[in-house]
Amino acid sequence: MNKILIQLFLIFNLISSDSVSDQVITRQGQVSFFSYTSVENIEAKNNQVLSIIDLSKQEIAISMLMNAFIFKKSLMHEHFNESYIESDLYPKATFQGNFIDFDPSIEGSQTRFVKGTLTIRNISKEIEIKTNIENVDGKFLITGDFELVVKDFEIKIPPILRPNIAKVISVKFRFEYQPYEE
Amino acid sequence: MNKKNKIAILLFASLCLIGVCLYYTIIERGDIDILEATAEMHTNSELLVDLYSKDEDKANSHYKNKIIEVTGIVKEISFLNNRNTILLKGNTTKSSVICDMQLNQTAILRKLKKDDVVKIKGVCKGYLKDVILLNCTFINQNTNE
Repeated sequence: MNKILIQLFLIFNLISSDSVSDQVITRQGQVSFFSYTSVENIEAKNNQVLSIIDLSKQEIAISMLMNAFIFKKSLMHEHFNESYIESDLYPKATFQGNFIDFDPSIEGSQTRFVKGTLTIRNISKEIEIKTNIENVDGKFLITGDFELVVKDFEIKIPPILRPNIAKVISVKFRFEYQPYEE
Repeated sequence: MNKKNKIAILLFASLCLIGVCLYYTIIERGDIDILEATAEMHTNSELLVDLYSKDEDKANSHYKNKIIEVTGIVKEISFLNNRNTILLKGNTTKSSVICDMQLNQTAILRKLKKDDVVKIKGVCKGYLKDVILLNCTFINQNTNE
C-alpha cells in the first residue's frame, strides 16, 4: 500500500510540478493490447492516455482509464471491465519510470530503455521497456511494445473462458508529445 | 418421415435459430446507439471540469459511465491516432473535456473551428487531467453552413 502511495505521489508531483518548461505532454496517447489464442483474437485500444515527460530529469509518467479501452464487441468490454480488470475498483493503470541514457537534444531517432513501475489493479511490477524515441524539431514521438503476463496482476479468468484469453498479452504504445504549456 | 422425426427436426431448427439470435444480440452487439439514447444529465464543459478537479470521486458518482450532454467552447480539434477528437474548454487552461467522436460525425466536425460553441452527447469515462467522453455525437449541430 505504501509503495502505491509513494508512486502516486511521484506521478502527482511530476504532473503538477510548477517547472513545466522542460516537460512535454500528451493527452491522447494510444495504448493497445492484443490477446492471441486459437479460439479468438482480442484487441482493444485506449486513445486518451495521459503521459508527461520531464526531459531534464528523464522521467516519464503515464496514466490511463481502464474503462476507456475500445473493443470490437461490447461483451468483451463488459468482461474486461467487470470480471478481469474490475475497473470500478481499480479505475486507473499507471507507469512511472526513468529513461536510461536518453539525450533529448539528439534530433532524429534513438532507441532507449525505460525502467519503471507499472501498476494495474493496485499491483505493481518493475518492468523495463525498449522504446523508440523520435525527436523532430523538439516534438517527441515515443513508440514501443512489451508483453504482460496475465497472472502477474492476479486477473482471474473463469475456467470456461481460459482458452479464449492468452496467458501473455502483447501491449503496444504510441505517444506524440507537445510542449507542456500552462 | 414420421411425425416424431419431423418434430425433432423442427425443434432442432428452432434451437439453432434461437442460438444464432442470441449470438448476435449478446456476443456480437455493438456499442449503444448514442444518437438515439437520451442523455441522463446535462452540463457544460467548464462546470464538469471544475467538479472533477475538485472532487473526482464525487464527480464520478454522478457522471461515470453515464450518457451526458455537454455544452462547451471548442478549444482544439484533433485527428490524432485516426480518431476524431474535440477538446472543449474547461474552467482553467490546464484541463478540458476530451470528446472522442463517433466516425459518422466527421462531416460536422470538419466544419467546426476553434471557439465555436457545440453541444455534444457521449459516455463519461472519468478523469485524468481532463474529463474523458467516448462515443460522442453532436446535438442539433447545423451541417448545412
